[in-house]
Amino acid sequence: MRKFTFILIALFVGTVAKGQSDFKKSLSGIEWVKIESKTDITVKTHSSNELLIKSGPEIKTPDRAKGLKLVGAGGTDNTNVGFSVVQDGNTLIVYNLRKNKGAEIYLPKSQNIAIKSTWNGDIEVDGFSGEIEADAQLNGSVKITGVNGPVTANSLNGSLEVVFGTVTQDSPISLYSTNGAVDVSLPSNTPANLSLSTLNGNVYTDFDVKAEDKDGLKSLLGRNVKASINGGGVKISMKSTNGNMYLRKK
Amino acid sequence: MTMENKHVLDQIPDYLDGTLDKETMKVVEHHLANCMECQKELEEMRILFTAFNEEEITVPSDSLKAKFENALEQEKTQQGKVVHMTQDKKPSWANNMLKVAASIALLVASFQMGGVFQQKKVEKEIAQLKDETDHMKQTAMLSLMENQSASKRIQGVSYIEEFENPDEAIIQALANRLLNDDNDNVRLTAFEALSKFTSSEKVKIVLIEALEKEKNPSIQVAIIQTLVQIQEKKAAEPMKRLLEQEDTQPFIKEQIKAVLPSIT
Repeated sequence: MRKFTFILIALFVGTVAKGQSDFKKSLSGIEWVKIESKTDITVKTHSSNELLIKSGPEIKTPDRAKGLKLVGAGGTDNTNVGFSVVQDGNTLIVYNLRKNKGAEIYLPKSQNIAIKSTWNGDIEVDGFSGEIEADAQLNGSVKITGVNGPVTANSLNGSLEVVFGTVTQDSPISLYSTNGAVDVSLPSNTPANLSLSTLNGNVYTDFDVKAEDKDGLKSLLGRNVKASINGGGVKISMKSTNGNMYLRKK
Repeated sequence: MTMENKHVLDQIPDYLDGTLDKETMKVVEHHLANCMECQKELEEMRILFTAFNEEEITVPSDSLKAKFENALEQEKTQQGKVVHMTQDKKPSWANNMLKVAASIALLVASFQMGGVFQQKKVEKEIAQLKDETDHMKQTAMLSLMENQSASKRIQGVSYIEEFENPDEAIIQALANRLLNDDNDNVRLTAFEALSKFTSSEKVKIVLIEALEKEKNPSIQVAIIQTLVQIQEKKAAEPMKRLLEQEDTQPFIKEQIKAVLPSIT
């Protein structure tokens, strides 16, 4: 019995300790959460209306830094998890000050999110019904799954992959990459006006867009393809300057 | 004008009937003696009157009268004395129907007449309404372009498709998006919108400015292609500068090297 109590206390202490290392902030009155990071960022949904930053695998602060605060271009660590979090009007700015190791951020499903990766960080977003903006400015890739849109995403050298659930029809979707592949999956019954363009890449799709057959998917001739699917609907623009483009039925 | 000289055309019928008083008779006779016109009228009137008098009044023959009276008697006995108000009412009801029909016809006619007059007014109003919707569209477009959401700004920029001849304010708003928007997707969409109006000098200037400023290679290459397509000589200088810059992507440099000779 004594052993059992001991384990229980150990577990409790462990939870509290872990809880202390995460960062939470209420999102009441917040319309947009803007995240900026040089390293990998994964954004997931949770059920409470707050921002939760998981510290992830333990971050070792150098011994010399004891009693000091991490300072970066985005501000000062005011979260103890290596992030600067500042509210600006209805926007919450979340800045990852660390230059190595990724971070996991949890937000409510309907949150509007804008994420920017400024160096090598890959952006991963899953399961949101709000608006998503993702910008991988240098070498990072973007992977957005289980979203409804609108999505505005852009990458330079990394790939850009988006898997949609039911696509909301009220505002345009815009997906561009300069050197990466653009890979998009849509439910096959999605009404949309598509605009696909590439300069040096090819366009492949199994949607009914005038094309030539090639390996099941179709390679589209011509660099600018405009087509309506399922009677037309929300505007979806996809562009890759040097990469290939893949538009899949889900 | 004296009485003698005045024509007596009005008095001629009475003169022929002999119903004029003596004094007027004298005047009329005196005038007739001197006026050829009235004499002529008198002659014609006389002929007409004689014709009236000579016309025999047709009288139904006795047998016809007898037949009619017999028939009438017969009818009377068959009908009895029952002569009801319905007889009065029936025609009056029919009359009313006619009146109603006439009013309806009148109504329809005036409605159609009104319709014809209204038509022009309506056409004018439609034109006015179109102006108003254009104005509303423009307001919506300009306000969307300031939205916090990139998708909404893109939507605002895409509204350009609704305008055949966008005015200065719209071009300026698109230029602001291309030159100053933080979001690459918005800038690229704004570029695509502006590239349809390259005949405008203002747009050309904006594109050259954007080429100097833009850091996204996808947008850079798109601007280069458009400026080369319209043979804009002023684009040569910023292109040369891009060639010299270290951070310009290799494929952009290749593109510039390939097209530069065609505009210099």
